[in-house]
Amino acid sequence: MTDSVVQLRGITKTYRIGRDITVNALRGVDLDVRPAEFLAIMGPSGSGKSTLMNVLGCLDVADGGTYVLAGENVNKLSDDQLASIRNKHIGFVFQTYNLLPRLNAIENVELPLIYGGDRNARRQRALAALEQVGLGDRIHHRPSELSGGQQQRVAIARALLNDPSMILADEPTGNLDSRSSAEILSIFQRLNDLGKTVVMVTHEPDVAAHCKRVVRMRDGLIAHDELVPRPRRAEDELLVGIGAAE
Amino acid sequence: MKLYDSFRSALQSLVVNKLRSALTMLGVVIGVAAVIAMVSVGNGASQSVQNTILNLGSNLVTVSPSFGSDNGLKGAGAQAQNLTLDDMRSIQDQLGSSIAAAEAEQQAGRWQVTVAGQNTNTSVTGVTEDYPVVRDWGIDSGDFFTTSDLSINAQVAVLGATTATNLFGDIDPVGQTVQLRQAFGGGGQSGAGAQRARILNFRVVGVLGVKGSTFGLIRDDQILVPLTTAEHVLTGRLNQVSQIVIKATSSDTMELTTSDVNNILLQRHNIDDPASADFSVTNQNDTLAALSSVTGTFTLLLGAIGGISLLVGGIGIMNIMLVSVNERTREIGIRKAVGARRGDILNQFLIEAVALTGLGGVIGILLGWAITEVVHRIPQAASLPLLITSGTVIIAVGVSVAIGVVFGLYPAMRAARLHPIQALRYE
Repeated sequence: MTDSVVQLRGITKTYRIGRDITVNALRGVDLDVRPAEFLAIMGPSGSGKSTLMNVLGCLDVADGGTYVLAGENVNKLSDDQLASIRNKHIGFVFQTYNLLPRLNAIENVELPLIYGGDRNARRQRALAALEQVGLGDRIHHRPSELSGGQQQRVAIARALLNDPSMILADEPTGNLDSRSSAEILSIFQRLNDLGKTVVMVTHEPDVAAHCKRVVRMRDGLIAHDELVPRPRRAEDELLVGIGAAE
Repeated sequence: MKLYDSFRSALQSLVVNKLRSALTMLGVVIGVAAVIAMVSVGNGASQSVQNTILNLGSNLVTVSPSFGSDNGLKGAGAQAQNLTLDDMRSIQDQLGSSIAAAEAEQQAGRWQVTVAGQNTNTSVTGVTEDYPVVRDWGIDSGDFFTTSDLSINAQVAVLGATTATNLFGDIDPVGQTVQLRQAFGGGGQSGAGAQRARILNFRVVGVLGVKGSTFGLIRDDQILVPLTTAEHVLTGRLNQVSQIVIKATSSDTMELTTSDVNNILLQRHNIDDPASADFSVTNQNDTLAALSSVTGTFTLLLGAIGGISLLVGGIGIMNIMLVSVNERTREIGIRKAVGARRGDILNQFLIEAVALTGLGGVIGILLGWAITEVVHRIPQAASLPLLITSGTVIIAVGVSVAIGVVFGLYPAMRAARLHPIQALRYE
């Protein structure tokens, strides 16, 4: 038995492009993520980090190797079973926010509970999650009425709703200015302080510097795996930013 | 995902694309309205035909003269004159209480009828005493003539309601005398030889109730006289009745009565081979069955036209649902990422399609009903009873929901099968 949230062993994934070109996106990845870790996955494009992200998020299935998520073996599960795993164990935060434009903030946050979990306290839990990211006063705004940073905070609230085993963030600050980025990072750090496991894909060293551990991918393999001795705190940068603005 | 959430999100997406939803729905609306209106017109027409037939009297068995076939050659029925009053009396005697009543008729042509300065031209028919019973026709005023009037060739007359009004206005005609005139050598129309005319006095004994028209023939404008009087005084054609009409006791005994009448007449006319009979016996059931098969085909045809427009509407639904699935690929990806299963996505799009067609169906029923109301106000069709039956409505709603399912299924399946990664990457 393991106490890891994520345990990857020898994960391989091959894509076929056209008739006879194959791309070995993952070539035997081993990775453990322990509870309450804040992990950054870095690497140049084509290194396989997006594929690893998809496998971690159960959006895609590895060709080989084993993947144990929160004690459950998720190899060879059907599409519907993977959907349930995503619903229960994973909270996604995307670079482009991926909110439903027709729904307001609280309805977007409620979305995971429509597909599983306890439906009764839906509204209260969605409200609590929005308050946790500091948007308790914007619950009836549509995504188009919110700034990028606010939209990403709604997305984080949505990711928190089913109390997942892991928050999976794919370039969460990629579309944001530095102040909004700092806000988002400070939210992740706060959640991590409360014991949430966060895995973040990024290509910005500045962003990765806020994490406790950084994994670097190269050619479908993990090239470096190191702990960050003193992660930067986003709150400090926000204070400095405010100071600078004044 | 609970049904409530599916419905909510389906309605939400329909409301967001109001114009598109409305236009898509239009196909189903028109289809359902067409089915409803056409079938109700068809039903109304068949009901109207049936009423018309029954207006002539119910449970009737009619005997008409015809030439028997002679070595395979058949004569024209209109010229055959081989039914007599005695045939009818014999049927009455032999069948007794197993029939309700019987009567015989002879057309006496059109006559100019005058009374105190008023005149009209109308048809005169010789009939027997049970005519009102056979034809379910009440007497408004006075009495119908009796067997004793028949036995003495009495010059008495019963007027149709319209004829009575034409001649007498508001005055009660019973007891008054009318003059029947007919020019010699002509068919009753005044012509070159109209100077010399026969003039006959008839005493009015009764007035018939109002019956309305049958197949365009206004039956309230006519004069009835005793059959024997018609034969001896008006036409001179003795023992030549144009038809014998027997009223069976009920619809169930009509077949039996038909064959009884047939046997009696074959025997009386000394005919061994029924195929060479010099008369033909038809009953109302046959007529109704023949007509209802015609109107049934008519209704089916109209329904099929409506059905085709429903099919076209369904294809429109499929088209728009495919566009909608394409447009919302990213939404599908997001929903899948947060845990929507295939069935959830399938349901969502299917319910959307069914909501479109179901709503279209309801609007279509209302529109169809409105169309039948408008048709009803067209003078030529005012007499058509337009029937929107609950069956029509249930079928229309059922079919439109089914169209939603059938034509929504393929787009919904495409949506459900989308791979979450590809869906999320879709721009």
